[in-house]
Amino acid sequence: MLIENMLMAFSAIRANKMRSFLTMLGIIIGIGSVISIVSIGDTMRGLFEELYRKIGITQAYIAIGYWVDDWRQSDYFTLDEMERIKEIFGDEIAYIDSDAFTSGDAVCARTTVKFNYQGIDYNYQEVQPVNMVYGRYLNEGDILGRRKNVVMDTTSAINLFGVENAVGKTFRTTIYGTMDEYTVVGVYKKDLNPFQAMMLGSNTDGGEAFVPYTILTWPNDYFYDIRIFAKDEESMDMFFDNLKAYVAKSKDRNPEDFRMETAKAQMGQWDSMMGGLATAVGGIAAISLLVGGIGIMNIMLVSVTERTREIGIRKSLGARTKDIMVQFLTESAILSACGGILGILLGGGIVTLGGRLLGVQAIVKPGVVVLAVGFSAMVGIFFGIYPASKAAKKDPIEALRYE
Amino acid sequence: MKLWNHRKTEDLGGGWLPGKPGRKFRAGGIIPKLTAAWADRRGKIPGLPGYITENISEELIRLEDLVKIYDTGALKVLGLKRINLTIHRGEFVAIMGQSGSGKSTLMNILGCLDRPSMGHYYLDGVDVAAMGPDELSLIRNRKIGFVFQSFNLISRTSALKNVELPMTYARKGKRFREQRARVLLERVGLGKRAEHMPNELSGGQRQRVAIARALANEPPLLLADEPTGNLDTAASVEIMELFSQLHKEGTTVVVVTHEEEIAAFTERIIRFRDGMVVSDQPNMPRKPRQEKTGSAGMPGQGNTAVPEGEEEPC
Repeated sequence: MLIENMLMAFSAIRANKMRSFLTMLGIIIGIGSVISIVSIGDTMRGLFEELYRKIGITQAYIAIGYWVDDWRQSDYFTLDEMERIKEIFGDEIAYIDSDAFTSGDAVCARTTVKFNYQGIDYNYQEVQPVNMVYGRYLNEGDILGRRKNVVMDTTSAINLFGVENAVGKTFRTTIYGTMDEYTVVGVYKKDLNPFQAMMLGSNTDGGEAFVPYTILTWPNDYFYDIRIFAKDEESMDMFFDNLKAYVAKSKDRNPEDFRMETAKAQMGQWDSMMGGLATAVGGIAAISLLVGGIGIMNIMLVSVTERTREIGIRKSLGARTKDIMVQFLTESAILSACGGILGILLGGGIVTLGGRLLGVQAIVKPGVVVLAVGFSAMVGIFFGIYPASKAAKKDPIEALRYE
Repeated sequence: MKLWNHRKTEDLGGGWLPGKPGRKFRAGGIIPKLTAAWADRRGKIPGLPGYITENISEELIRLEDLVKIYDTGALKVLGLKRINLTIHRGEFVAIMGQSGSGKSTLMNILGCLDRPSMGHYYLDGVDVAAMGPDELSLIRNRKIGFVFQSFNLISRTSALKNVELPMTYARKGKRFREQRARVLLERVGLGKRAEHMPNELSGGQRQRVAIARALANEPPLLLADEPTGNLDTAASVEIMELFSQLHKEGTTVVVVTHEEEIAAFTERIIRFRDGMVVSDQPNMPRKPRQEKTGSAGMPGQGNTAVPEGEEEPC
C-alpha cells in the first residue's frame, strides 16, 4: 500500500513537472542553504582543528596578565626560572622556550629582505616538525653556544639568496641593535594548505628564520612570556593549572594575575564562533524551509481541488478516509523529500566546489544529509496534513460530480 | 419483519420531525444515534466486520420506508418519499425515471455513497443506513461494484492499475491483484490492453475497464449509473451484453437509465417519478430498435434482449 502510494505520488509529481519543481524550489533552497552552512561550519572547524594540530594543540603561553596594574621586574621570566620549571615539570613538558620573536632586515650582497626571527630550542623539531630539505636543524651546541646559525624555509631562501639550497651562505642582519653575520645551516620546506597559509600569514616576499632562542634573550635574559608544549594532551589542562599556580607562587602573586593562553582554548573559541554563526544562518535557512513548506501546502491544496473527482472515484471504490489521507500525505512528503535531496545536491555541490576553489577538502557529514532529508519529509508531512485532511473529508457524491 | 415494519409505520405517522425515535436523521440527537447503533448491530456476527452477515437471505437489497431529505437551509426538499423496494439476488434490474425523479438519489443511497435521512436500507442483510463513512467505504469496497456514466477511470493510471485499485483498498497482495486484474480484463475482452492508459482507449473500452474494476472484489451487487450515457449505440449494446452475461453468471445488476433501449436488456424495470416508485414490473423482453443498433447479428434480434438461454422473468 505504501509502495502503491509512493508510485502514485511520483506519477502525480511527474505529471506536473514544472509546477512540482517550482514548489520544491523553496525546500531546495532551504535545505541547500542549511547543508551549505552546516558543511561550511564543519569544514571550517575541521580546518581550524587541523591548523591547531599543525601549530601544536598542546601549546600554551603564560605571562603576567595585561589587566594587572602594578607590573614588577619580577613578573618577567628569566632563563634560570625557565630551567627551574623544566626541572619541576620535566615529565609533563615536551618543549619550553622563551617565545622570543624579533624582526630585522637581512642583507646579502645587494638583496635586502625583511626577516622575522623566531627563537627556538634545539628540540623544537620534536613538537613542530618541519621537513628539512638541505642541511641540518639547530642543535644543542648552537643553542648553548649562542651561535649565529639559522634555519629558514625554501621561500625565504629564494627571496634572500635566489636559491633553495642556501646551506653555508651568510647574511647580515641587525638584532636588538647589533649588526652581525649569520650562517644558514639548514633549509626546510613548508607544507601548508592555502587556509593555513592564510591564517599563519606567510609572506611571499619576506623571510622567516629560526635562530637559537638564547640569542634573542641575550643580553638581559628577561622575557615576557614562556611558551610550553605539554607532553600529554589528555592531562595538559591540569598541568597548565599546576604550572600557573607554581609560577604565581614563585612570583608572589595570585594565580588570577597570570594569563594562560592555550591553543585548545583558542580553538574552542573558533569552534563556538563557527557554531554561533551556523546557528544564526541556520535560523534564516529554517525560515526559507518554512516558506517552502507553505508553498507545498499551497500546491497540495490546488492538487486536491484538481483531483476532487479522483478522490470521489477512489472513495467509491472503497478508499477510507485514512487511505486518502495517507495518499496525499505521501505525495507531499515525497514532493518535499525530493526537494530536500535536490537541496542536498545543491548545497553539497556548492560547498565541494567552493572547497575545491579554495584548495581545501569540504566536509559534508552523512548524518547531516540524513537529517536534512528526514527534516524535509517532515516539513512535507506537516504542511500536507491540512490539504490531505481536506481531501479525505470530501463527500464522495460531491467529489464524483465535480468537473 | 412485521414487527419492525409496524414500529416504523407508527413513527413515520408522527411527522417529519428530526429526533423521532427509531428514525435516522442526520442532526437527530442522542436517541436516533442509539437506535442507529442498535440497528447497526442487528444481523452481524459479533467480532467480525460489519459487512459479514449471518443472515444471507434471498434479498440482496431491501429498502424500508426510505426517505431522503435535502436540507437546503431555508427549504427542505424531499428527494425520496418512503421507498419500499426489494431486489433479490441474481436479478437484472433497471431503474428508470426522468432527471429529478429521484433515481440518482436512490442510486447514491444504493451505492452507499449517501445515507438515507430516514428508513432502512438492508444490503446483504445489514442495515447500512446508520453506518459511518469508513464503514460505508468498506461496504462499497466489498459489496458494490460501480459503473459510472463517465467511466471514472483514474487518469495517468493503466487499465491494469485501475482494475487493481479496489483490491488495493481491500489490502490484497500485489501478485494476487495483478493476476486477478489480468483475468478480469481478459474477461471483458481487453486482455491485450492492460497496460494502456485510459486516454488511449475508446469509450466502450474504458467502460469495459470500469466493469472489470467493478468486479474486482467479486461484489454481490453491480451498480451501473447510466453506463451507456457517453457511448454510441454499438458500444452501448456491447456493454449491456456484457451486463447480461454477468447477470447470467449470477451477478445482481442494477442499471439506472433513462433510455428504454437500455432498460430493455433487463428483466425488471422500476420507474420513478417525483421521488416515488410509480411502477415496478417484470420486463417483457422485446426487440431493441433495429435502426438504432445499426448492425446485423445483434443480441436481441431473436426478439429477446438477453442472450439465449436466459430465463424469462415471468
